[in-house]
Formats: sequence, structure tokens, C-alpha cells
Amino acid sequence: MNTRNATFARHGRRTASLAAIGLAAAALLSACSSSSSSSTTTTTTAPGGSLAGNNAAYLAADLKAPGGSLNASGSTFVQPFFSAAFYKYTGLNQALQVNYQGVGSGAGITAFQSGTVAFAASDVPMAASDLAKMPANSGPVIQVPDILGGVAMAYNLPGVSTRIKLDGPTLAGIFDGSITMWNASQITALNPGVTLPSHAITPEVRADSSGTTYIFTDYLQSANPTAWTLGTSKTIAWPSAALQTPKNSGVASSILSTPYSIGYVELSYAIQNKMSYAAVKNAAGVYVVPSPATVAADADQKTGVSSTDFSIVNQAGATSYPIAGYSWAILLQKQTSATTGAQVVKVIDWTTHTGGGQDLAAGLHYVALPPAVQNQNRTQLLTVTGPSGKALLTK
Amino acid sequence: MTSLLEAPADPAVERRRAVQAAAASSLGRRKFASMVALGICWLFLLIAVVPLVAVIGYVIAKGLPAWNADFFTNSTVPEGYPGGGVWNAIVGTVVITVIATAVAVPVGLSCGLFLAESDGRAAAVLRFTADVMTGIPSIIVGIFGYIAIVRNFGGYSGFAGAFAIGFIMLPVIVRAGETAFRGVPRSLNEAALALGARRSTVARRVVVPTALPGVITGVLLAVARGLGETAPLLLTIFGNQYLQWNPSKSMEALPILIYNYSSQPYADLVQVAWGAALLLMVVVLVLSIGSRLVAAYLRKERR
Amino acid sequence: MTTIEALPSAPSGRGRRRALPDKWYRGILGVVALLFGALAVWFLVAVIIQAKPAFSTLGFSWIVGKVWNPTHNQYGLLPFILGTIESTAIAVVLAVPIGLGTAIALAFLVPSKVRPALSTTVELLAAVPSVVYGLWGLIVLAPLFREHVEPFLTSVFGWTGLFNGPDRGVGLLLAGVILAIMILPTMVAISRDVLIVVPTEQVEGAMALGATRWQVLRKVVVPGGRTGILGAFTLATGRALGETVAVAMVIGNAPFIAHSLKAPAATLPSLIVNNFGESTGTELSALFGAGLVLLVIGIVVNSAARWLVWSTGADAAGAELGR
Repeated sequence: MNTRNATFARHGRRTASLAAIGLAAAALLSACSSSSSSSTTTTTTAPGGSLAGNNAAYLAADLKAPGGSLNASGSTFVQPFFSAAFYKYTGLNQALQVNYQGVGSGAGITAFQSGTVAFAASDVPMAASDLAKMPANSGPVIQVPDILGGVAMAYNLPGVSTRIKLDGPTLAGIFDGSITMWNASQITALNPGVTLPSHAITPEVRADSSGTTYIFTDYLQSANPTAWTLGTSKTIAWPSAALQTPKNSGVASSILSTPYSIGYVELSYAIQNKMSYAAVKNAAGVYVVPSPATVAADADQKTGVSSTDFSIVNQAGATSYPIAGYSWAILLQKQTSATTGAQVVKVIDWTTHTGGGQDLAAGLHYVALPPAVQNQNRTQLLTVTGPSGKALLTK
Repeated sequence: MTSLLEAPADPAVERRRAVQAAAASSLGRRKFASMVALGICWLFLLIAVVPLVAVIGYVIAKGLPAWNADFFTNSTVPEGYPGGGVWNAIVGTVVITVIATAVAVPVGLSCGLFLAESDGRAAAVLRFTADVMTGIPSIIVGIFGYIAIVRNFGGYSGFAGAFAIGFIMLPVIVRAGETAFRGVPRSLNEAALALGARRSTVARRVVVPTALPGVITGVLLAVARGLGETAPLLLTIFGNQYLQWNPSKSMEALPILIYNYSSQPYADLVQVAWGAALLLMVVVLVLSIGSRLVAAYLRKERR
Repeated sequence: MTTIEALPSAPSGRGRRRALPDKWYRGILGVVALLFGALAVWFLVAVIIQAKPAFSTLGFSWIVGKVWNPTHNQYGLLPFILGTIESTAIAVVLAVPIGLGTAIALAFLVPSKVRPALSTTVELLAAVPSVVYGLWGLIVLAPLFREHVEPFLTSVFGWTGLFNGPDRGVGLLLAGVILAIMILPTMVAISRDVLIVVPTEQVEGAMALGATRWQVLRKVVVPGGRTGILGAFTLATGRALGETVAVAMVIGNAPFIAHSLKAPAATLPSLIVNNFGESTGTELSALFGAGLVLLVIGIVVNSAARWLVWSTGADAAGAELGR
């Protein structure tokens, strides 16, 4: 529907002009404000809303975080974005280094539970069972979205130059092992006019505990409520025909070097490495090519996400790409060290807001967080305190 | 001395003649079999040499293009950014190896000296322990390093990595040290003692200097082995995109950089992996060849 | 009357430092040796303590369970034990004959001028770090296997049933081949050392009897060195069993029992290295249990090897090669 696209474009322009006004007013505001607990005002007249006016003030303070180094680990879904964002952050605040290692969402959560990283990143927030494994006196855990991305169905089909179309049932069949050949009737039916080779399909999947797997299987379950039986999880009992490789980068690399394979990778990897990826049928029955615009269209259908209600797969809308998800930054609300806590909360605040890290999203084929989500993030981050109880995020 | 008119008398003579006849008649067949079998041995020698040439050749061919000024002076950068290098990995590898060697060499040589001078039951148990330790799979050393150091001391660090690498190097140095110290002629030992020197003086002035070539060989081999270990580092040092000299923080190292970058789809990162592989391989080969040269010197001296 | 000169005073070394009394010297060495022993004990105890919860929760039969599925609380190690054994078996089947043949060639056939250079060349294979083998195997050998080697082997040996399934490159066969290359230098070095020390009288006696060179080798030299060769074989096996990264990079990481040489598989080390970072609770304990199983296998094989190698008097330095 054109109105939705137009609205999306319009709200983008509106955000930009608001930010400009905010910047101009920042000097006045920072001179006047003394408390760090000022609430932010948001309007929800359009999908995504608009960014709070004092954004620039917070961003400026974020770049003055105390010096040192932080360790963080987790999702490889967000790794291209985090690598670039943290690299830029250290370029602007040379005293603070953020060392992010992409080890998979599951390993990131485990590291966070063990206390060996300052914050973690996962494409699926910690569930109640994960939170139960936190040490007894660690306090509440804050989980905020840090980027919005899509999961592309990347494939390697020698001799096929047209983009292939796939839908929920065929994807489920490929990945549970029931569809074994590229020229199976279910696939050829969706791709008239394309000569698919008579060759076995090699499904490429994650070997490690992966949030990307979660998003993908969440979509498969949503699109095939009864036919998909392998469940929705970070770890799946894949059929033996599937080739398992750790990390998004590993799966992408494996697809590139294995003819007749197909796998699920974050969109950035697929585009940056010039992979072929499929058009997937969404809930409205339209075959949609994954792109930042179509991922944003899907996310705009559901802007009220939280760590307990985070799935945005298979949303309504003709231009929505159905396999999309947020990635989440996970940190303790009660930080054990004021210095580290200030570093963590300021880096995350800078990374998750327009004017900071989010400006890099488009260039890396991610989608920047909608303003409403950004405002929500800041509200949550303002509740992070040091051991003395003093809030660490400042303007 | 046989003729057709003589009666066959001696069965032994008969047997010898039969054997000689058999030998003569089978000579052609046996020579052929020998030629084939030895030919196969030559072929196997060739087959054994081919992988080495192939590996070294490929690593040089793909790694050398990665070697430029930036490669050795800059730290790693995200994919797509220019001017990246492996300096942070080089520093990490050097720091960790130096710490591991600095601890493993004195401890290992002291144990080697102890074992060389003792023949009791305790020494036998220790000797067996050292031998068993050289065969422990390195991944188990890695998980031990994780629960011993990372968990107990608040996180990943270069020290944890050095602990794991040191653990791997230690038994190698112990056994090589003992072998070297035992190789010192007893007469030298006894002469020094007869002159009234204390045991520690004998050790310091006689045993260690005499055994030095063997000790150096063993230490170089242990260092070469420690440099090539990946699994223990994967679980103990976490990795670091930035330059880090402080071993109490997480660090990067060449083996884990190679491991992580080898399965990347981005061509520039794979290029960096090959460059790092070439660097690591060259260093390890130089150390191995160096240890061989020292061993050869040792053998020449002894003769 | 002769005067007896007083003995010069004991050299005091640099400055006026006195040497340690013998008791202290032995004492310090003893303490260090004790610490070394304590380290080994700490290691064993730590791994056992971490593995214990898995055994208390799951009993003992899980070690040979067929299914590894942590989300359903299934922790069978059989696929990984078999993967370890199978990849090692492939490596040994390839490396032992080639290693022995190379050792024979180096010890007896190669002109003595070229011998040291060639021996060093083969032994340098041991110096290449395992992660470099993994990189080379993944990027260079895997496509080669997928495009040429596996189709060829399937067409020639497919009837054996060992080559079913698609050609992927990565898998059990590639892992076995990489392992074979890695253990080859051990096999060659120790075998060669063992073959050289067979008494010359026996060799010359056989030659005097008119035996061909191959007959001498087959009937006299190799049997004479057979204990040492067996030791070399066992040592090489021990090394193949414990290899982690090179195997993890090329074996395909499939937690299933492989039914074909071309199938992806997994080994105990690759299981641990891939899953350690994300495991907690029973799964983590199960990984330590897997480590314990690997440790037991490795210790048994390596101890047997060393005993065999020692009992032939082969060069102990040769036995310390590489990893």
C-alpha cells in the first residue's frame, strides 16, 4: 500500500527536521538542565514516532564516557553493525575501546551470565529461564533493541541467474529435510520459467546457539503452524542433510563455497558479499525481496516491542519482508562499577540513537531503530545506576 | 663337486643344492619384487614431500600479498575498512608466549634437573606424569585454563592464555631438560664435586652450561609448539580488536585470528588470515630449524 | 721438607655470593618438582569435578548415547567418539604405510648426501601450526575434494558403500587426510630412527645369504624395529586423537554418526571447542565429561606409545617432536 511507504518516507523527513531543531536548542537546554532524570516527550502520530528533542545533548555526553576498555560479546547478526559503530565511537572518543566479539547469541548470553563481559548482544532477549541463571544478587537485567535487520535466504545455484521465489511451506520443507531436490515440484511451482537443476539441496544452518536461527525458525513456525515441527529456538535439531557451520559469517562463507546450497544469513552479509537471495512470500501473499525498506515495513507493523514481546516476523502489509527481527543489547541495571557502568550505558546509548551509531545502519543494509524505540531505549538506559544508586546516563 | 654319476649321499648337500637352485631360479622374481617395493617406498617419499611443498607454497602465495607496512603496524579493522593489519595479534602472541616461556622454562628446567639427579619412586612418578602431560589434547588444557583462571579471576585475559600455553610447554621442557642434563658425562659432575663444589655450584657451573645446547633445543621446540596452539587460546583470551599490551586484559593472538578469519565470507578478512598464517608459519619454521641447527651443533661437539 | 700450600679458597663467583647449601638446593628443586606434580593433580581434579554433575544427573550410559540434543536434555557422546575414532583411523591407514615407506626410503635408499635435507623437509611438516593446516584444508583442499577427489573416489569405490551421499568437500574424509598429513612426520621420524638402529650384522648376514634389498627390509630390518614402529604408530594415533582446530575447521560439525566417508561428522575435541562458549549447567558438565573421555583415550594411547618407543631405545628427542 502506497500510503504506508509514503508515511514511512515522510516520517523520515520529519525526524530529520526535528533533530535539526533539537540540535539548535541543545545549547540552551544543556545550560539549563541539572537533573539527569528529565523525562522525554514522544509523539506517536506516525509509525515509529519522533525522536526526543534532547537527543544531541545525550549523544555529546556519551562521547565523554570515562576511558578504558569494555568487553562485549554475542550475536553475529549485529556484528557488522557493531564493528562499524564501535570503531566509529572509538574514533570519536579515543579513550574508550569497545571490544566486541561475535560468538553467537547463545554464547553471548552465557558470557553475560558468567560475568565475563560488560554487556551482551542477542537477537532474542533473555527469557525467564535465562534470567533465572543470573547470579542471585545481580539485580534486574535491562534489554534494549540495538538494531533492526532482516534474515535473507541466500543460495548458491550455478546456472540460475533469476531470483528464485520461496514461501513458508517450501522453506520448511527444505530445512526439515522433506524437500531434497532443487527441482522438486513445490519449488518449481513457485518459479515458473526458471530451470531449476536436478541436484540435491544442501541446507546451510548454524552449528552454534544462534539468535538468527531463532528469528528464522520463528518465521517458519508462524508461516507453518502445524507443518514445521522442529520448533523455535536458538538451537535446532537439524536433519543430517544440513551442513552446520558456526556464526553468520561461517554460514555465508559455506554457502559461497558450496554449490546447490541455501541457508539463512543476516541481510548485511548477503548484500555485502554479493550473494543471491530469495524473494519470500509474506503474510499478505506478496513475494518480497529483503531490503532495508521491506524490513522496515515489516517492523513498522509492530512498534511496541519489549523483551517479553519481541517477535516481528511474518507481519501484515504488502511490502513487509517476513523474516526480520531486532537485535538486543543486554546489560545489568545495577552496575557493579560506576566507571564500567558509565562506559557501558553511554556506549549503548550512543550506538542506539540517531546522530550516533544508528547513522551507520543504512550504509550497512540494516534499518535504524524507529524513533519510538530509541526513546524507549533511553528511558530504560536512564534507570541504569552505579553501586551507589546514582544514574549513570547523563546529558 | 657333483656329477651325474655320483650317488646322492648327503641330505645336507642335497638341501643346500635345492636351496641354491631355488634361489637362482627365483632371483628374477625376487629382484622384480624388490624393485617394485622399493619403487613404492620412493613414491611414498615423494607423496610425503608433496603436502609440505603444497602447504608452504600456498601459504606463501596467498599470504605474501597481504604483507605490507599496514599489515605489521596497524591493528585489525572491521571488514571493508582499509589499512587493517595484525599488529594487535602479533603483540598478543608475543606477550603471551613470553610470559608462558618465562614461567615454564625455570620451572621446567628445575624439574628436569631434579629428575636428572634422582632415581627414586617419586621421580619415576613425576617422569610418567610429564610424559602423560605432553599427550593431553590441547582443548582440555583450554577448558582447564577457563575454569582455573578465567572463572576465578574475573574474566578473559592474556594471563589465562599464558597459563594454558605454559601448561602445554612445561612437560616438554621438563623431559627435554632431563634428557639434556642426563647427557652431561658423570665424570664432569664428579670431578666438580671432588673439588669441593656444592651441588648448586655444580649445577650452575657444570651441568647447565654443558647441557645448554640440548636445553636450548628443547626450549625452542617447546616455544614453537606453544606458538602454534589455538584451542587453549580460544577459550582463555577472548580476542581483542584493539592493541593491548596489558596481559590482565583480553588480547588477540595470531592463531585465533587465523581461526576466526578463515571462515569469513569477506575477501579482505580472508586475505588477512593468509598473511597471518604466513607470519606464524615462518616464525615456527625458523624456530624449528633453529632448534635443529643447535641439535646438529650438539652432535658435532660430542663427536 | 715440602711445604704444602694452602688450597686456594673456594671461588666465590661473582661478587661475594656463597653457593646454596646442598640441602637448600635439593629442597628448592624438590619443591618445584612437587609444584609441577600438584599442577597435574589440580588439572585432573578440576576436570573431574566439572564433569561430575553430568554423571550424577545422567548416569554413565550417556557416554555411548547416540543422540546429542541439549535442548531435549540428550547428551549422547557416541557420534563424537565414533567421529574421533573414524577420522583417526583414516589418518592412520594413510599415514602408516606412507610413513613407513618414507622412513625406509630415507634410511636406506636415499643417497647419504641428500638424506639430512630430505629428512628435515619431511619433519618440517610437524612444525606447521595446526590452524594453518585447517586454513589450507578449508580453502584449498575442500574445493579440490568436492570437485575432483570425491567424485573420482565415488566412481571407483562407490560399490563399497563407503562413499554414499553428496560431494561436499568438508567431511570425514578431508579431516582424515589432513590428520594424516599432520601425523606423517611423527611416523617418519621415529620409524627412521628405529630402522637405523637394527644391528648391521643381521642386515649384512641377510645380504650375504643372497637376499634382495626388499627381502632384507621385509624379513630383517622392519621386524627388527617392529616394537619401535608400533610405538611410532601409537604415538601418531595419540596425536591424531587430540587434534582440535584443524579437524574442527574441515569436518563439517554434524552431531551425527557418519554413514559415509563423505559425510560431515564431529569429534570429541570439535564438540568441545564449538559448544563450550554457549553451554551452561548440565551441557557444560557434559562437555567436561567428553573431555574426560578424550583424556582417558589419549592417556592410554600415548602411554602405550611411549613405553613401546622407549623399549627400543629410539632417540628420545625424536619422540618430543611437535605436538
